[in-house]
Amino acid sequence: MASKRVFFITVIITAALFCIALFGIKLGNFEIKGADQMRFGIDIRGGVEATYEPRDLGRKPTVDELEAARAIIETRMDAKNITDRDVTIDKGNGKILVRFPWKSDEASFDPQKAVSEIGETARLTFRDPMNNIILEGTDVLKSSARFNQEGSDPVVELKLSKEGAAKFTQATGRLIGQNIYIYMDDTCISTAVVKTQITGGNAEIQHIATLEEASALSNKINSGSLPFSLVVKNCNIISPTLGSNALAVMILAGKVAFALVCLFMLVYYRLPGLVACIALLLQVSGQLLALSVPQFTLTLPGIAGLILSIGMGVDANVIVSERIKEELNAGKTLGRAIENGFERAFTSVFDGNITVIIVAIILIIFGSGSMLSFGYTLLCGVIMNFVAGVTASRLMIRSLSNFEGLRRPELFGARRTVQ
Amino acid sequence: MIRFYNYRHIFFAISLSLILFGIVAAFINGIQLDIQFKGGTILKYTYSDTIYVERAEAVVEDAVGRTTNCQLQSNLARDEKMLIVSLASNEALTSQEQEAVTAALIKAYPDAKLALSESLTVEPFIGKRFFTNGMIAIGLSFLLILGYVGWRFRNIGGVSAGTMAIIALFHDVFIVTAVFVIFKIPLNDSFIAAILTIIGFSINDTIVIYDRIRENRRLMNYKTSPEELVDTSINQSMMRSINTNLAVFVSIAVIYCFALVYDIGSIRDFALPMMFGTVSGCYSTICIAGPLWTMWQNHMREGAGARKSAS
Repeated sequence: MASKRVFFITVIITAALFCIALFGIKLGNFEIKGADQMRFGIDIRGGVEATYEPRDLGRKPTVDELEAARAIIETRMDAKNITDRDVTIDKGNGKILVRFPWKSDEASFDPQKAVSEIGETARLTFRDPMNNIILEGTDVLKSSARFNQEGSDPVVELKLSKEGAAKFTQATGRLIGQNIYIYMDDTCISTAVVKTQITGGNAEIQHIATLEEASALSNKINSGSLPFSLVVKNCNIISPTLGSNALAVMILAGKVAFALVCLFMLVYYRLPGLVACIALLLQVSGQLLALSVPQFTLTLPGIAGLILSIGMGVDANVIVSERIKEELNAGKTLGRAIENGFERAFTSVFDGNITVIIVAIILIIFGSGSMLSFGYTLLCGVIMNFVAGVTASRLMIRSLSNFEGLRRPELFGARRTVQ
Repeated sequence: MIRFYNYRHIFFAISLSLILFGIVAAFINGIQLDIQFKGGTILKYTYSDTIYVERAEAVVEDAVGRTTNCQLQSNLARDEKMLIVSLASNEALTSQEQEAVTAALIKAYPDAKLALSESLTVEPFIGKRFFTNGMIAIGLSFLLILGYVGWRFRNIGGVSAGTMAIIALFHDVFIVTAVFVIFKIPLNDSFIAAILTIIGFSINDTIVIYDRIRENRRLMNYKTSPEELVDTSINQSMMRSINTNLAVFVSIAVIYCFALVYDIGSIRDFALPMMFGTVSGCYSTICIAGPLWTMWQNHMREGAGARKSAS
């Protein structure tokens, strides 16, 4: 009978998804990262979260200014070798959010100092091969990235101030055929060869591979004339030893709690309990994948969302199992009891899940940071609950009820006397 | 069958006295907002050797010229001692000032192996906005839940069912907040997470019972009294309520125990109110939302009956 196979197919799919969620998979360009490479918030693995904003600026900074400020931060972090980072611009509030973890073996790393240094005023200079400064950042009025007139190559266009133009005319006259180096602080960010003397204050930097590169360079050059320095007023630093300990303990606690729930379901509900355990495993695998595929950052409130949705998953299975037992005790045949049980349980699971989905969506819309994380894990969990707790459970129980040896009501927790 | 409706006054009394207890505790302990909401700076350092609180305070105040409060804490699980420096002020401490604090402390205690373990700085205005956003989110969820329950359960008097569900939710929010207040846990983002989780569990619980009432309304004689209907429904889904909440409670208790043993403050402060919250969520559904809805239905019936007899 074909439907007997359904159970095993579901189990195999669950096992496969679980393995992918745990260890990851790589097929050519397609890659899903395993649970060990999941992105954890700094409250879990330790790290720095800082919000930079303009110091004493009477107005809201423009998007260009924020981009320039971001370019400073990114260059500084490159110089510090902080590659695993997340720098986002909050246009509405004129702030820049920086998040990065640091590893427990970097004992000499001073996070407070790093946060201060990243936000310091950038010093942008154009230098000749002898390391003499020919232009300062303030001499550049505006730099922008575009395609050249033929529309074939990306270039960075510089507009210089009056004094800047004079200095540049003099320097480019002297340096034809030689290099000009552009520095931010002590990091060289670009090199250009002088082709002809440049007069009039409009210069062009050519030979840039892509437009993205050009606009990155242009943002960095703009940072030299940024009219404000950055200050940190919101910052959270958590040492990695504190963080990693919390993560290890939480994983262990999660495993123990999951094992206890499974044990309880097996002992109390027997066959539906077994199905519930498989369905829960499927749900958890789906939730882990929902975190690792888009590389969503998991924080402690996110874990709370996981707990809630797993609780809802347990609930869906408990409701169904109770309903089947009830129908059996009322004297229904096994097939009838299973169908009725699922049908009657469905409305309550459906309404419960939809209400929680409403809450989750509101949190995603309104929440920033912790509430967003909570809402996301909750939403994914409840959707997985529909897939696992409702659909997969039903397929599995229906399929198992086709096995002669499993058609005994007591395996479904019903009173033995009823047949 | 347990006649929940008959015991309703006892349940209401229990709930009211718990809420009253929470309010009294709030007056005695005060409601502490964590700096995530009220703004300010907290710096935590691990150290060995001995540090005197008064001297540390003086050192920090000297370095940044702000009122400081220092605390010492020892952690038995990890064999660590911790110095907690908190500065509440109208303006957040900049990263440069924080560096100055660290440098001054290290200078004052060169042998104490001071190391920054955690720091949090929040501008008061950001904290306030975070708090307001959380409250708006909770308020809006309540409204939408009311709307959804009102629509889906319209055959058992939707809006009244929704209203009673919301009252039960407020009950749970109160209880969870009271736990935070009684155990002197400052309100921070784990408070918001705990409240939201409990709202989720509790509304789910309530809906499962309402679903049974909705179903029984169809199956049972239309003359069945509301108390008969509600008590039957609650008793029928009793095992489910107990088992689900037991599973959730045990899971959270396991997490709490681990957090307690390994001394992970953030999880511990989240799990403890959650444990109370799950119990409260289950209790408020069975003992508050059900009987309240019954009372409302009886009230409506009497009203309708009175009108009928008058005409």
